Amino acid sequence: MRSQAMFFQRRAGEALADPRLQKNFAGLKDKFVGMRARAVANYENDFEELRDAGQAIRDRVIDNLDVWLELFEEKATARGATVLWARDGSEICEHVIAIAQRHGVTKVTKSKSMLSEEAQLNAALAAAGIQPVETDLGEYILQIADNEPPSHIIAPAAHKNLDEVADLFAATHQQPRKTEIPALTREAREVLREHFLSADMGISGGNFLIAETGSVVLVTNEGNGRMVTTLPKVHVVITGIEKIVPTLADFATLMRLLPRSATGQEISNYVSVCTGTKGEADADGPEHTYFVLVDNGRAGLVGSEFQAMLRCIRCGACMNHCPVYQTVGGHAYGWVYPGPMGAVLTSLYTGIENALDLPHASTLCNQCGVVCPVKIPLPELLRKLRERQTERGLRPWSERLALSVWSRLAQRPALYALATKLGVRYLNWLASGRDRIAVLGVAPGWTAGRDFPAPQGRTFKELYSSRQEQKA
Amino acid sequence: MRSFRHPVCFLHCGILPFHNAKLMRVALFVTCLVDLMRPSVGFAAIRLLEAAGCEVVVPETQTCCGQPAFNSGDRRAALALAKKTIAECEGFDYVVAPSGSCADQIRSEYPGLFVDEPEWRRRAKALAARTWELTSFLADVLKVDTVPGEFAGSVTYHDSCTGLRSLGIKQQPRRLLGLVAGLKLKEMPESEACCGFGGTFAVKFGDISAAIAEKKCINAQAAQAGAVVGGDLGCLLNIEGKLRRMGDETTRVLHVAEVLAGVLPNPDGKAG
Repeated sequence: MRSQAMFFQRRAGEALADPRLQKNFAGLKDKFVGMRARAVANYENDFEELRDAGQAIRDRVIDNLDVWLELFEEKATARGATVLWARDGSEICEHVIAIAQRHGVTKVTKSKSMLSEEAQLNAALAAAGIQPVETDLGEYILQIADNEPPSHIIAPAAHKNLDEVADLFAATHQQPRKTEIPALTREAREVLREHFLSADMGISGGNFLIAETGSVVLVTNEGNGRMVTTLPKVHVVITGIEKIVPTLADFATLMRLLPRSATGQEISNYVSVCTGTKGEADADGPEHTYFVLVDNGRAGLVGSEFQAMLRCIRCGACMNHCPVYQTVGGHAYGWVYPGPMGAVLTSLYTGIENALDLPHASTLCNQCGVVCPVKIPLPELLRKLRERQTERGLRPWSERLALSVWSRLAQRPALYALATKLGVRYLNWLASGRDRIAVLGVAPGWTAGRDFPAPQGRTFKELYSSRQEQKA
Repeated sequence: MRSFRHPVCFLHCGILPFHNAKLMRVALFVTCLVDLMRPSVGFAAIRLLEAAGCEVVVPETQTCCGQPAFNSGDRRAALALAKKTIAECEGFDYVVAPSGSCADQIRSEYPGLFVDEPEWRRRAKALAARTWELTSFLADVLKVDTVPGEFAGSVTYHDSCTGLRSLGIKQQPRRLLGLVAGLKLKEMPESEACCGFGGTFAVKFGDISAAIAEKKCINAQAAQAGAVVGGDLGCLLNIEGKLRRMGDETTRVLHVAEVLAGVLPNPDGKAG
């Protein structure tokens, strides 16, 4: 997906001005935040200890990522799978198209994969004459909505409401418009069933790769993942190299964290552990299994100050709890991943210079940091990205000038006292006797949407020193 | 006699090395926003600390803790201001700020700034260990059971993000407000939600910031209290500015120190 992250301000403004989107965002927030809170409260043990355990598992993997990947490759290969490596999005597309062509594939069914968004895989498949069909309900809705990008990593069509989906289905399926959710999902099932039965290849993402068994784990609620991974004769898993966990026991620990953090469920409706190809005794399963393990910027984070980001297990809790995401939605962020984790990943994977607003588009409230199941210090990472921008001279000159003037003043107390004394008088002059300023020329961003309260009249330092003099 | 060990501070702050050993010597870190916008908060803090038996000193040369530079990615400026603040404030038993955000900058961020300067790092750590946000200092360190303020009416409390999530300030201001004669606390929905201030965020992304502030204001109004009270002036300026723009002329917006000390600004906003 080509990044539009440089247009954050404009896209955020459009989202703010769209009442229907605003309503959809509000409903989404109430649902996700409430569900997680209940799940954490109902967890039988200490959820904070669980987060510590989750972090420890992820750190153990990432500290020795190469070792775990080699073990995974060995185990997966021993079970009949083929492990391929992709440096970037175009290599993902090359691998997948080559596999499809080798097996004479003309249609693929897809379960959710954010990596395929990183690679713009659907467009590449279509260009190669292979029809991709999204089968995750949210992804399917977006595909028939003229290939809209997802706005959330686990609820891709979260920005759409029931009415919009009803319109889309009626127009696409040429059927009477339905308004009840069960009727709509039934209609989707009927359409998708044909595709499940006729596709020659299934593509899935992977929530976890288990090193000791060479398995991929899919965590889903709709069951489409099972159809995609068992019905076609070829199964291709596309996932990031950081998704490894050492053992099944580690996976069990992370499974206590993931659904609770993501949807507030104790466990998702489906958890599939897929290992190797169909054996002689198996009733179903793919005859050919491929793993496309993707770098696309990940390996470069190992050992860097941003390594903690590789812990991410893609639950979406950080965006669900982010006041900025809740207000502008996912599309404003402009690339594959939105919210706090997206602001970090977009900067790191598409280039810091191509996402200048994203690290700054946060109040650093740390709501993301306290809900993250693997304790990624997201505000700290955002701040480090801001530092890298400053070091590389990527901030606008006006901002650099303002900061520089202010910080020089703040280091010179006498000058600072004079400047603030004058500043307060200027603000009071602007307020002209009222308790507020409606238009503030030095900070128009502030007063566009709210007033600026007037200062009390004199600085604390002025008042304090005159009081001290009176005392003396 | 820390002042002897740190002659720089001794000179800068003009503190006498001989003082009443019985009194706790507390440096008030006023914060740049209070200095500029709302001096009544600083005087309220002095009153509260003195009422609790502290000797309060206001280091004269203090300006800003450096958080705006730190959060904007200007580490060099943040470092320079951290050194300045450390030198000014390290000669005291405690440093207290009427802001969770500024107190946290000193407590949680200063030590990490000094990567290659072990001596500064030591001094930063020592200062961090003695630095407190005002309500947590009153409630957790001094364990006060009376406050000077009286307040006829109801208030609702906004939990500022940094104080809440980094310093664990939640019950302290509520317990202290419970000591104010006449005051009734009414909780708002989502009191822990960010108000959208975020420092320079409020200016850089004014439209998003104001939209988040609107949600906060709607929640605050739902409490049907006479005043919104909080512990960080940045949030309060944001909330007050949005309430007024929304046409709410009656809900007062007050710093918790003002309410606890009974040092309220006049209704026209001027220092009382």
